[in-house]
Amino acid sequence: MGLEVEQVWGGYGGGDVVRGVSCRADAGDVLCLVGPNGCGKTTLFRLLLGILPLTGGSIRLDGDELRTLSPRELATRIAYIPQYHTPVYAYTVLDVVTMGRASQLSAFETPKAADRDAAFAALEKLGAAHLANKKYTALSGGQRQLILIARAICQAAKILVLDEPSANLDYANHQLLMEVVADLARRGYCVVMSTHSPEYPASVGTKVLLMREGQVAAFGPPEQVITPENLQAVYGIEIDVVTVRDRYGAPRTICLPVKRPCTPGREGTP
Amino acid sequence: MELLPQEAARQRRRYYRLILLGLGLVLLAAILLSFWIGYFPLTPVEVVRAFLSRFTDQTGLRDQAVTIFWNIRLPRILSAVLIGASLSVAGATYQGMFRNPLVSPDILGVSSGASLGASLAILWGASNWLIQLAAFVGGVSAVTFSYLVSRKSAHSQILSLVLTGSMVMALCNAGVTMIKYVSDPTDTLQKITFWLMGSLKKADTEAFLWSALPMVVGLILIFLLRWRINLLTLEEEEARTLGIHVRRYRMILIFASTLLSAAAVCLGGLIGWVGLMIPHMARALVGPDYHRLIPASALLGGAYLVLMDDLARSVLTMELPLGVVTSIMGAPFFIYLIIKRKERD
Repeated sequence: MGLEVEQVWGGYGGGDVVRGVSCRADAGDVLCLVGPNGCGKTTLFRLLLGILPLTGGSIRLDGDELRTLSPRELATRIAYIPQYHTPVYAYTVLDVVTMGRASQLSAFETPKAADRDAAFAALEKLGAAHLANKKYTALSGGQRQLILIARAICQAAKILVLDEPSANLDYANHQLLMEVVADLARRGYCVVMSTHSPEYPASVGTKVLLMREGQVAAFGPPEQVITPENLQAVYGIEIDVVTVRDRYGAPRTICLPVKRPCTPGREGTP
Repeated sequence: MELLPQEAARQRRRYYRLILLGLGLVLLAAILLSFWIGYFPLTPVEVVRAFLSRFTDQTGLRDQAVTIFWNIRLPRILSAVLIGASLSVAGATYQGMFRNPLVSPDILGVSSGASLGASLAILWGASNWLIQLAAFVGGVSAVTFSYLVSRKSAHSQILSLVLTGSMVMALCNAGVTMIKYVSDPTDTLQKITFWLMGSLKKADTEAFLWSALPMVVGLILIFLLRWRINLLTLEEEEARTLGIHVRRYRMILIFASTLLSAAAVCLGGLIGWVGLMIPHMARALVGPDYHRLIPASALLGGAYLVLMDDLARSVLTMELPLGVVTSIMGAPFFIYLIIKRKERD
């Protein structure tokens, strides 16, 4: 069950960007996609969400082949959480979250009391019910990101795909978001997220897919994937991976880009 | 004590429902008011009796009053309501679909196409109803052409539509200018110029009934799909992951909006600004949710255009072109919008 990706190929008109990627994630997993810009993370997301067609391989969602599912069926299995945005119109938070019910409503239906209850339930799950009547556009970036997660929960899909959720968030909001993600996994969601920072999978991820030039550089649990050798192979710079204990004794993994100190007397050194 | 969010949301919905009801009453009042405004004065009592004359015997009532009520004022007022509602609903729909609050229903070339069709028919010396038919066909063809060409483009659908729309608009306007240039200045040119000004003078019962058909179809279609327009205001990919066929809905909504605008142009000529302005006012009253925005735009647009038509036929002894009146009211509103936008940025 969950997400099964097998030998997937796909891309835009100009050729395949993702070339033979395989990975899997189950309920309770946080699968982190890590890799430099242009490695195919976003393309892989588009393939997972059915926005781009596969040119090879297969993606199964809860055991069903992705290409056999209609957009509506797809939406009830996999939900996309974009980076927080500014919509053109100033919808209320409740309006935004209720939009997650689109796949449950037929074309001519409008949301009923049950749909609004579902929206409130999703907001309450994230402790954000008090924001329901605020304007979405007036919220902070972190709050907006939370509301988009609530919309995905309201969509009733069990696989959540987050695109660089921390990209525009400040330090504290970023930490809060990571806690939300970990909590969602504990509640049985299968979370897939892309990130620029190789550290986060070590703290919240249960699986890591390290990508390079559209292919899998490494896939597995963080402690096996996030290693100095793998990271150097992907990013092309030297990186130390150290584990320390925080003040409460919990082990924490940190990635440190390092540089060999210049020996005095060499050419071009200060 | 602060309200529970659920309770606050319920109160907000109740408040918006009241506003919609209020707008309905405003429309009703505007309609009633319009019956006794005009060149030939009718007293309120005469209006009521003229209405009743179809059903009961009303001795002592002037025959003229009956004729004016049933054959002139009634079709004209209903035309104004339906045109106002149609242009506003089409405008609101396009503003959502094109993800831009400054879009008007003309963006795909419907008015220019209709003008070209009407001008051609006038040049040929066609009868009134043929001119109206030509306007409708011209409007629908222009949009169909924009839509089909945009599908060949590699840009995003929204951008392609805007580009092909402005291309079609330029082409049609050139055609109209060409026709004006070759037409007889003492007869045809005058007729074309007057037609393009936009007026409800030619809105008689027959013209009204024919145009009402496409307008009602378009209004019902958009009313039924109204909540889904919210989803089209999101990015295309985001909307798709929420489970809707974005392009399919866009096609249906373009179809419905084109029926609305083309029929409105063929009944009343070019009446600008309504489709841009009214959705903004409606949004200020009931918020951006299309579930309420569409009915609010329809009611407000109907009331607005009836009142503007009252102005057009009452401020001067001669009748003003309705298109001129709506432009005079609309342009300052647009400037206000631009300034307000700048302040927000």
